[in-house]
Amino acid sequence: MNALSTIRSSDPHWIAHLETQDDAMLRKLTALGILPGNQIAIEQRFPSYIVSIGRTRAALDRETVQCIFVTREQHPTTA
Amino acid sequence: MDCHQCHQNNGSCGSKRSLRWLPFGENFNRLPIEPSGPQIALVGMPNVGKSVLFHALTGTYVTVSNYPGTTVEVTRGAMTLDDRAVSVIDTPGMYSLLPISEEERVARDLLMSEPFGAIVHVLDAKNLGRMLALTVQLLEAELPVIVAVNMMDEAQRWGLTIDREALIEKLGVPVVLMAAARNWGVDQLRETLADRLASTPAPVLAAVG
Amino acid sequence: MSLTIQYLEPIEVAIAQIETWWRSGWGQDFADRHLSSRSFALLLLQKDPNLWEQLPGDRQQDLEQLIATTQAQLNRPISLEIAQARQGFAQAIEQNTLAEPNPSQRRWGERIHKLTVNPISGFPILVLVLYWGVYKFVGEFGAGELVDRIETFFEGQINPVVNHVTEQVIPWPALQDLFAHDYGIITLGIRYATAIVLPVVATYFLMFSLLEDSGYLPRLSLMLDRLFKAIGLSGRAVIPIVLGLGCDTMATIVTRTLETKRERLIATFLLSLAIPCAAQWGVILGLLAQRPAALVTWAGLIVGIFLLAGFLIDKFLPGSAAQFYIELPPLRLPKIRNVITKTWVRMKWYFWEVLPLFIWASAIIWVGRLTGIFDWLISGIEPIALGLGLPKETAPILLYGFFRRDYGAAGLFDLQQGGQLTGDQLLISAVVLTLFLPCIAQLQMIIKERGVKTALLMVSFIFPFALAVGYVLNWGLNLFHIAL
Ligand SMILES: Nc1nc2c(ncn2[C@@H]2O[C@H](COP(=O)(O)OP(=O)(O)O)[C@@H](O)[C@H]2O)c(=O)[nH]1
Ligand SMILES: [Mg+2]
Repeated sequence: MNALSTIRSSDPHWIAHLETQDDAMLRKLTALGILPGNQIAIEQRFPSYIVSIGRTRAALDRETVQCIFVTREQHPTTA
Repeated sequence: MDCHQCHQNNGSCGSKRSLRWLPFGENFNRLPIEPSGPQIALVGMPNVGKSVLFHALTGTYVTVSNYPGTTVEVTRGAMTLDDRAVSVIDTPGMYSLLPISEEERVARDLLMSEPFGAIVHVLDAKNLGRMLALTVQLLEAELPVIVAVNMMDEAQRWGLTIDREALIEKLGVPVVLMAAARNWGVDQLRETLADRLASTPAPVLAAVG
Repeated sequence: MSLTIQYLEPIEVAIAQIETWWRSGWGQDFADRHLSSRSFALLLLQKDPNLWEQLPGDRQQDLEQLIATTQAQLNRPISLEIAQARQGFAQAIEQNTLAEPNPSQRRWGERIHKLTVNPISGFPILVLVLYWGVYKFVGEFGAGELVDRIETFFEGQINPVVNHVTEQVIPWPALQDLFAHDYGIITLGIRYATAIVLPVVATYFLMFSLLEDSGYLPRLSLMLDRLFKAIGLSGRAVIPIVLGLGCDTMATIVTRTLETKRERLIATFLLSLAIPCAAQWGVILGLLAQRPAALVTWAGLIVGIFLLAGFLIDKFLPGSAAQFYIELPPLRLPKIRNVITKTWVRMKWYFWEVLPLFIWASAIIWVGRLTGIFDWLISGIEPIALGLGLPKETAPILLYGFFRRDYGAAGLFDLQQGGQLTGDQLLISAVVLTLFLPCIAQLQMIIKERGVKTALLMVSFIFPFALAVGYVLNWGLNLFHIAL
C-alpha cells in the first residue's frame, strides 16, 4: 500500500485507504468518488495533481493526494 | 420563504430589503413572491446541466457555464403542466446532503424547508455511478425523486449506453434520459412531471413565519 | 420508498437509536422539515453542523456519546463508512445499467486539455490568453477603440444637442446644470456609463464567457493553485478573482463557492483592495496606453500589493489555506448563443447597477454645487490631493472615487483629455483609485456576505492605505526625480 503521491506510473491503481480523520477532506474525496474500492490513475503531477476516477477527472493538491493510499492489485474489500 | 439565504445568513434578507429603495440595490436573482401551485426543484451535482434544463423548462435564463460552481443562489421560474402553473427552482450544485461549501448548503436547506411535488435529480450520464450516490440520499430522505440522466449526447459520443428500464427497476422511481442542451428528452421529462404531480395530492404548504 | 441501503451493523443500530429519540420528541423541533427521520439520523451521525447547532445541549451530549460508541466499533470514520456503502450501492447499479460497447477515442478536446494543463505548454497558453483576451481585446479594442469612438460621438453629436435643447427648454441655468453642461445627468452621468464603462465591461464579459463555456477556468485554477496557496487561497479562488476583473460585486457573491470562512474573507478583502473591475482597469489602460512606463509601474504595483497583502494576511490570520480540489469537466466548444445571452445578461445587470448610480452622482453633485457643500467637501479633499502631488482639479475625482472607483477613473479620463495631468500624476491617481473600494454596491455586498463588522474593518483599512500608497509613491518619484 503506497501513498498516491509516491506512485510514478500512470496506470490505474485501487484505492485501499484514506489516511485522514478530517471530515471536510473526506467529504471532498467522497464527492469526487475517491473511495476505497474504486480505481484511480494519476495523469499529471505538476503544477497540481490531475487524477482520473472512472470517467471523472479532477485536480487536487499535494496534501490531498498524500492521504490517498493505493495498491496495484484489488484488495478484498473487508479492510 | 422567498429568500433562501435567510437560512444561512441570519437577518441578511432584512438588510437586503431595507436597502432596496436605494438606487444601487443589488438585484441578483430576486425571487418572486410566494408560489401558489406545486413546486419542483432541480438538484444535482455541479455542472451537470441543471441551469440549462431550467431554461428549457421555464424560459428563464440563469447563468450557464462549463465549470462547477456557476450557480450560487436559487432562482425561481414558472412553467405550465396540464394547464397548471408550476413553479420550478434551479439550485446551486451539491455533492451530497452534507454540504461542503456555503453555496451547497443553499440547495440542502431548500430541500429541507420547503415542500416539493417533485424533485428532479439531474445527473451526468458519463458519471452515473458516482452521481447515483446522491440519488440514494434523496431517496433515503423520502423525497419525491425523478431521475434525469442528462448529457446523453456526450455519453453517446463517448460510446456509452444506458439501460433506462433497468435503472427504473433498480431505483423504483421514474427515469428520463436526456440532453438538455439539445432539447432531447425535455418533453418526456415534462410528461413524467405531469404524471407525478397528478398522482400526488398537492403538497400542504408548511406554515412558515 | 422501496429502496433502502443497509449500512454496517453499528451504524444501523445508531440510526435506530436516533429514530427512537426522534419519535419521542426530538422530531418536533424539526417538524417543518421535509426529510425522513432516517435521513436526519444519518446527517446527525455525521455531525451536520447546521442541524447540530439547533439541538439543545443535553441532546448534543447524548448524540456525542452515541457517535463515540458507534465509532469505537468501526475501523474507519463513520462518514467514510456511510459514503462507501452508498457508493458501493450506486456503482453496482451503474454496472447493471451502463455499458461501454464501443469505447471511443476522445477527440480534440483531450489533446487541448493536455496542452492547457501541461506546465511546459500550459503557462505560455495562460500568458497568451491573458495577452490576447485581456490586453488586446478588452484593453486595446474595448477601452481604446470603442471608448474613443463612442466618446467622440457623445462629445461631438449628443452633448451639444443636449446642451442646446436644455437651454431652450429650461429657462433657469441652475436647473439646466442638472441635465446638461459639465456635470449634467446626461452629459456626464449617462456619458460615463455608456461611453466609457459599457464598452469595456461588454468586451470583458464577452471574453470571460468564452473562457467559462470552454471549460478553461478550472484548468486555470489548477495552474495557479500553488501561487494562490502563498496568499492564503486555494486554486478555487482563481475563478472569483478573474470574475472580479470584470465586476467585483458579482465576484464577491461567487466567493461562496470557497470552502472555508478564512478563504472567503481573504478573497473578499483582496477583491476590494487590489482587483480593479473591468470598467476601471479598462479606463486606466486607456489612460496610460501612451505611457508604457507608467502602465507597467501601475500594473506592477497593483500585482505586488495583491500578492503582498495576501501573503501577509495568510501569515497573520489564524488557519491555513483550504485544500484544493476541483472537478475538470471536458473542454467544450462554447455555444455562441449561450455566450451572447450570458454577456448580454451580465451587461444588463451591470448597466442597471451603474446607471442609476451615475445619475444619482450627477444629481448629488448638482445639489452639492448649488448648496456649496460640494465646494466645501472639495476644499477638504484638496489638501489630500496636493499631498499626493496632484493638482487640485483631481479633488473631485477622488471624491467620485469614494463612490465608485470606475467613476473616478472616468473622471481622470476627462482630465487627461484636457491635458491637465503629468505622467506621474496620472500614475499616482490611477494607483490610489485602484486601491479604493470598488463601489457602493460592492460595499453592500461585503456587508451582506461578510457582515457589518468585517466590512467596516476593511473599509477603514482600505482608504487610508490607498492614500498612504499614493503618498509614498509620490515621495519616491520625487526623490529619484522620475518623470514618467
Ligand atoms: N453536451 C451537453 N452539454 C450540456 C448538456 N447540458 C448542459 N451542458 C453543458 O454543461 C455545462 C454545465 O451546464 P449548467 O446548466 O451550467 O450546469 P449546472 O451547474 O448543473 O447548472 C454547460 O457548459 C452546458 O452547456 C447536455 O445535455 N449535453
Ligand atoms: Mg447552474
